[in-house]
Amino acid sequence: MICIATFYSHFGAIRFKRTCDQAGLGAMIMPVPRDLSSSCGTCVRFEGNYPEEIPQEIEQIVVCENGGYRLLYRAENA
Amino acid sequence: MNLRKERWGILTAGLCIGIIAALLVMLGNPINMGFCIACFLRDISGALGLHRAAAVQYIRPEIIGLVLGSLLVAIRHREFLPRGGSSPMTRFIIAFFVMIGCLMFLGCPFRMILRLAGGDGNALFGLVGFAAGILCGVFFLNRGYSLGRTYKLPTAEGAMLPSAMGVLLGLLLLAPSFIFFTEAGAGPGANHAGIFFSLIAGLAVGAMAQRTRLCMVGGIRDVVLFGEFKLLLGFAAIFSAALIANIVFGLFTPGFNSQPVAHTDGLWNALGMLLCGFGCVLLGGCPLRQLVLAGEGNTDSAVTVLGLLVGAAFAHNFGLAASAAGPTLNGKIAVMIGLAAIAAIACMNTFKKK
Repeated sequence: MICIATFYSHFGAIRFKRTCDQAGLGAMIMPVPRDLSSSCGTCVRFEGNYPEEIPQEIEQIVVCENGGYRLLYRAENA
Repeated sequence: MNLRKERWGILTAGLCIGIIAALLVMLGNPINMGFCIACFLRDISGALGLHRAAAVQYIRPEIIGLVLGSLLVAIRHREFLPRGGSSPMTRFIIAFFVMIGCLMFLGCPFRMILRLAGGDGNALFGLVGFAAGILCGVFFLNRGYSLGRTYKLPTAEGAMLPSAMGVLLGLLLLAPSFIFFTEAGAGPGANHAGIFFSLIAGLAVGAMAQRTRLCMVGGIRDVVLFGEFKLLLGFAAIFSAALIANIVFGLFTPGFNSQPVAHTDGLWNALGMLLCGFGCVLLGGCPLRQLVLAGEGNTDSAVTVLGLLVGAAFAHNFGLAASAAGPTLNGKIAVMIGLAAIAAIACMNTFKKK
């Protein structure tokens, strides 16, 4: 399962990538894809299940499927 | 994800925007100023009487169009999502100093490209400073800089700045006596394309910028952060199209001296754009991007636009803005204060965090 997490800050993405690396999930930091959001922030593309305890810095997590995205998680009031 | 489609989109948008900018000059805007977010907000600030520099007072329809173009396209694509609450006062202060930097250089990053495309060599110093400023901002981004998260807001809140743009359009069309307009021949404020074309140009550029996320700061930032050249492609496309259009229209005059609405002090051209680039990275986008985000309902960007307007008013009320004669002592002091303030804001919002 390939997922993309978007963040409220660039550093949040850097920290999450470190967490993914430590968990052995293949993760890559990159700009948010345009068809996912009009925001020009930073996202992390990773393989595997999303974490049980989601960091506060994460705005949303989507799974890539069928050429599109399916929402898995969105922060409260986001 | 369709990166190839995104790249083609931004390339096409950049080429169109470069041509539109050159056309605006042909139709009456000041030379190398088809678009300049800083100059145009400064003119609006003057038209509203926030400053009394008689040479630069006009309600620029391009600004109104940029916001409304972004708004309309955002609504069409269900991307009008009112958000805010990410340190609005800090953003206001940063924007204030970004404008001080822009008016030291005499242009925003958008105009910097257009000045380069018009042959203005002084803008090369601005480009060096701008890139250096972005590197300063990236230094803090990589170490934890954040102004905090945004929150969902009521629709009415996100509609405030676009509504204000509607009021500005009304004031422009009705031209009541309490609005100031530069008299013919009295300065750059008097040089403008017709209202209709300017508004259409703004709407078109606002719509394209919303779809492509075009951002002068984002281009260099993304290359440094990710090795991603997509946004920089838009930057290059605007330059290329405006350069060719300027040559075709006979507007290309290479050199350093006697360039329109520009001065030749390389150091302060560079320092002005250093301040602008640094501040814009902390804001998350260039002045053009802030207008587009405000059109999408982002109230933090709306506050940023207000900071730019107030910065412009201060710049002219206190003699901080440079002119063709060069920078003023007050302006130099203000840029140094601005650099110190932006660095302090960056530190406070970086190193306090775990």
